[in-house]
Amino acid sequence: MQNPYIPYPVVVDKIITEVDTKDIKTFRFKFVNPEDEAKYAYIPGQFGELSIYGKGESPIGIASSPTQKGYVEFTVQKAGVVTQALHEMEEGTMMGLRGPLGNSWPLEFLEGKNIVIVGGGFAFTTLRSLINYMIFGDNRKRFGNITVIYGARNPGLLLYKDELIEWQKRDDLNINVTVDKGDADWKGREGFVPAVCKDVAPSKENAVAVICGPPVMIRFTLPVFFDLGFSKENIITSLEMRMKCGIGKCGRCNVGSKYVCKDGPVFSLAELDKLTPEY
Amino acid sequence: MEKRLIKKDALAGIAKKMAEEFLVWAPVKKEDNVLFEPLQKDDEPFFAYLNSKNAPKNVFFPHTEALMKFTRTEKGMVFSSDENKADSSVLFGVRPCDAHSFALLDKLFDQEKYQDAYYVTKRQNTTVISMACVQPPYATCFCTSVDGAPVASEGVDILLTDIGGDYLVELITPKGEKLAKYFGDAKADAAAETKKNEIAAKAAEAIKSKIPAHEVKPILDKNFDNPFWNTIHGKCLACGTCTYMCPTCHCFDISDEVKGDDGVRIRSWDSCMFPMFTKETSGHNPRVSQKERWRQRTMHKFKYYVDNFNAIACVGCGRCVMSCPVNIDIRKVVEDISKL
Repeated sequence: MQNPYIPYPVVVDKIITEVDTKDIKTFRFKFVNPEDEAKYAYIPGQFGELSIYGKGESPIGIASSPTQKGYVEFTVQKAGVVTQALHEMEEGTMMGLRGPLGNSWPLEFLEGKNIVIVGGGFAFTTLRSLINYMIFGDNRKRFGNITVIYGARNPGLLLYKDELIEWQKRDDLNINVTVDKGDADWKGREGFVPAVCKDVAPSKENAVAVICGPPVMIRFTLPVFFDLGFSKENIITSLEMRMKCGIGKCGRCNVGSKYVCKDGPVFSLAELDKLTPEY
Repeated sequence: MEKRLIKKDALAGIAKKMAEEFLVWAPVKKEDNVLFEPLQKDDEPFFAYLNSKNAPKNVFFPHTEALMKFTRTEKGMVFSSDENKADSSVLFGVRPCDAHSFALLDKLFDQEKYQDAYYVTKRQNTTVISMACVQPPYATCFCTSVDGAPVASEGVDILLTDIGGDYLVELITPKGEKLAKYFGDAKADAAAETKKNEIAAKAAEAIKSKIPAHEVKPILDKNFDNPFWNTIHGKCLACGTCTYMCPTCHCFDISDEVKGDDGVRIRSWDSCMFPMFTKETSGHNPRVSQKERWRQRTMHKFKYYVDNFNAIACVGCGRCVMSCPVNIDIRKVVEDISKL
């Protein structure tokens, strides 16, 4: 019997400080036992429980793509007990990792369609996983046009800055990066994500929108997509709830009959409409 | 199924004999309460009890249990041992409602994906011996409304029914049959069987408290936002007693404890009645007041569990009714919902 509560031992291989405020870092983990990497086969949109013995666990979306071999990455904001301890860790430290947990972005559903990715702030992490998965080698052929709209409050808060530059060089990606307010060096777009979505106006034809961001961004972005004619079946999002076990047992992350940890975190708006509005 | 008869006064001796070989959880009198405790050498099991103060779910799902241990090394804290282990044991004399709760908890903990190793190991290593309620013990018993009965074998390996001078012993499962040697060799005849059926029918009839537990499911499906939910929680103290006493409540917390270089990750019972239960690091709490928490508890038992497992997560033991310090009565809650 596999014990789902026991983490895989991992070592912090690399720490990348993502933002000027230094409170969001990407942690790259390597498995201590190389055979565990295959057991940790994941799909973009899934999450893991970062396990720091003595502090506890924290559920975090997987930021790397399964096409990136040899490691797994999580981008973590310093917020609670576990994430603070994580932020104080040094490269080379051992810790634990459980998962992969939850469902995932619906890759089969997305195949053959035009994909619109909308991300705001720190919620961009599992979207980054999805983008890197879709543009990897031959995977790119399985998807139609890919449009990305990504916003942060200011340029210093944008995640994955190097990748954004690389993505913008590609001719098979439509990348729109925006900040609420630029600085002296900012030459890109200014404006809130919903306004940029309206401006970019992606077509609803054979298209799916994958939207992740803070509640306020979601609230003003959804009407834009409804106006563009996107159906609720074709708008996908990911929920967050307080979690402990991550496997649908401990009883706290349910929305109606569904557990966000096990049945989610990814839901279409049509699916969310069937659930109770308690999240 | 193998059926035998034993003399009524032989029961305590059988439990004690088993206790020489295994861990035996039996009803023991502790001051004014009866609790299921590991039977110690000089303990006398107390079978003339109504029901135990606490539900015996702690045998499979302890109030607090170690999940794993870890230790400090030069590389930081590292995993040291999986604490999943369980000795061969017998749970002797639980009431049918509580045995029913094990069958309900199995649906959650013993799923194919993400099987809960700790619960399942204890469950597999434990034989459940149930004592039928020949006379339903409390006015607050309502097992017959929630797919149970005072003489029932759901979740039971061996069922004992008091049929007068003897207990009828039914060895229901292969696990139960393995303990056959403890129950003598007097085979039960057809008359004993008839007697048991009569007693079962009479006992079921004696359960006077009824709730429309099945009827409320379609009503709950449609009434998440009903103003009715404002009417339950006003006097609730958020003490969580109802969830701790409940045989089917299974919510838990996971936390780490460290002493020196050694640490342990433990899980302990938690409660949907507590404000912190769903409070997120950001400060956001999806269940913002006791109203939402009461709705969650009611919905979980009479709607969500039915949606997910096709079973009501209540066994009608009445413990929450008897132990609520402000007399919130789940029977009235369900009754009121049926009238929405």
